[in-house]
Amino acid sequence: MEMVVVAPPAPGRLEDLRRRFFATPLQAVLSLACLTIMVFLAWKLLNWAVFSAVFTTSGGPEACQAAAGACWSVIAARWRIIFFGLYPYEEQWRSALACVVVVVMTVLSCIPVFWTGRRIALVWGAGTALFYVLMKGGVLGLAHVGEEAWGGLALTLFIFVTTCLVGFPLAICLALLRRSELPWISRTTGLIIDGVRSLPLISILFTFAVVLPFALPQWLQGDKLYRVILGSALFFSAYQAEIVRGGMQGVPTGQEEAAMALGMRYWQRIGRILLPQAMRNALPATINQFVISFKETSLVIIVGFFEILASGNAAYGTGEWRFAYVEVYAFIAFIYFVFVFSLSRYGAFLERRMSISER
Amino acid sequence: MISGNSTEPGGPALRIENLDKYYGTFHALRRVNLAVERGERIVVCGPSGSGKSTMIRCINRLEQHNGGRIAVLGTELNDDVGNIDEIRREVGMVFQHFNLFPHMTVLENCMLSPMIVRKQPRAQAEATARRYLEKVRIPEQAMKYPGQLSGGQQQRVAIARALCMQPQIMLFDEPTSALDPEMVSEVLDVMVTLASEGMTMICVTHEMGFARRVADRVIFMDSGEIVEEAPPETFFTTPRNERTRQFLSQVLDH
Repeated sequence: MEMVVVAPPAPGRLEDLRRRFFATPLQAVLSLACLTIMVFLAWKLLNWAVFSAVFTTSGGPEACQAAAGACWSVIAARWRIIFFGLYPYEEQWRSALACVVVVVMTVLSCIPVFWTGRRIALVWGAGTALFYVLMKGGVLGLAHVGEEAWGGLALTLFIFVTTCLVGFPLAICLALLRRSELPWISRTTGLIIDGVRSLPLISILFTFAVVLPFALPQWLQGDKLYRVILGSALFFSAYQAEIVRGGMQGVPTGQEEAAMALGMRYWQRIGRILLPQAMRNALPATINQFVISFKETSLVIIVGFFEILASGNAAYGTGEWRFAYVEVYAFIAFIYFVFVFSLSRYGAFLERRMSISER
Repeated sequence: MISGNSTEPGGPALRIENLDKYYGTFHALRRVNLAVERGERIVVCGPSGSGKSTMIRCINRLEQHNGGRIAVLGTELNDDVGNIDEIRREVGMVFQHFNLFPHMTVLENCMLSPMIVRKQPRAQAEATARRYLEKVRIPEQAMKYPGQLSGGQQQRVAIARALCMQPQIMLFDEPTSALDPEMVSEVLDVMVTLASEGMTMICVTHEMGFARRVADRVIFMDSGEIVEEAPPETFFTTPRNERTRQFLSQVLDH
């Protein structure tokens, strides 16, 4: 005798909706109420942002102010300030190109093909050099533009990328030093990491920008921009070091023993066995740290840099567009969203990819 | 294959003299003496905590000994990093928990060390790796990741990985203890083949059948000491020491 087991038929979409949202009269009322509120808010927002909005600059600020909806004309009129800050007008194509270089460099280094030491170093070395030459000029017939004139999106990207570029290797060094067998090394490193983590980023930026020049000889100071980047890289590395260390603790001791038994030296074990696995463990937290650092670049306003948020302030701050600050901030929020959202989607892709290769 | 290095071709494979090892105040190895000739197959057994794993882990310096001497293939094992590297190149090890590198394919697991430690060209390393994967009878799994294999297959990969370094001595640290019972024999078969080809082997194991079949000598350890040392026939039929008899009655009587 054979038993036939039949799965109950899967509920249709309507049936599923009914079960989830309209199971009891009270639930139905609540669902309808929430739906009404949501539709109302969505309509209001759409009406403001699209249907009643002004998109062209033809009417000037006055017509824009009179409109019932959003005044996107301010973006059309002022986008150059938002993206490029105080960078000289005729040279702004260089700043735009530099942003493209950063984006291309980041995208390239996200592709697994480029994940060998030599290729990634090539991409980042060439990309950073290209960015620097484009922004700074002074060679190849490009006019010289000092760091004090850099601004907008280009400056935000530059600070973020260099912070990570300096901070990430530093974080790995700190994490390795902290797990040293020699107590005086591990304890000192621990003290440095915890010390930096206990300070607010603003105070570190302020110290590096303003206080350090008093303590260092002239030739060691460098431009304020690079001191600030160094400070933010230090801050980044202290947090990232703990993330990397957490990832290392997740690697079983047997892995290093097997590598030792196969005759690998310290750096071979670290580079080939420990770090690749530790970074996999640490990936979600690392992406999180990148996102935080990207948004924290806005703090350089405090020491007088025109990154994208400060440029936004300048974009609406000059008389005629003063009323349109909501639109400017909404636009800047959108730019942040594009970068941060791509970053987190990429993180999700990496996690999926790794879970395939390991299981 | 004999690799060209300073190790004397004719001397003993391993010489351990008065070896002492402490974990804090715990005396894990007590003046252990052991000499192993080239081509000899040694099985080390004993109750858990008797120091057998500690002893073989001292041979390639996964544990650092506190007293006595260890000489492997004529090279003195001391704080000299060059000596440690040289010994580790010539001594392969297989672990209870396999310890394959999970982020690399089976083939990459086998090729990594020959390439970065022995500096072999990729093509040569790959040919060697494929040959040994063939030998442990899983050539078709080369492109898989360790996580996709069964325990027995993983352990056979681990043996192939160690052999790819073309070591002169192989250490086995309870290679079948973490396996499901039906997978034990596939791993033991590989070890028997290896033994029949003249590899110098030191195996910590509870597989008494394996000991009977391939061992030249069986060593029984208890409380950090070598209590008895005899060829398998003598060891299993007429053990001299009371502790050995007790141990054997526990592992054989069921």
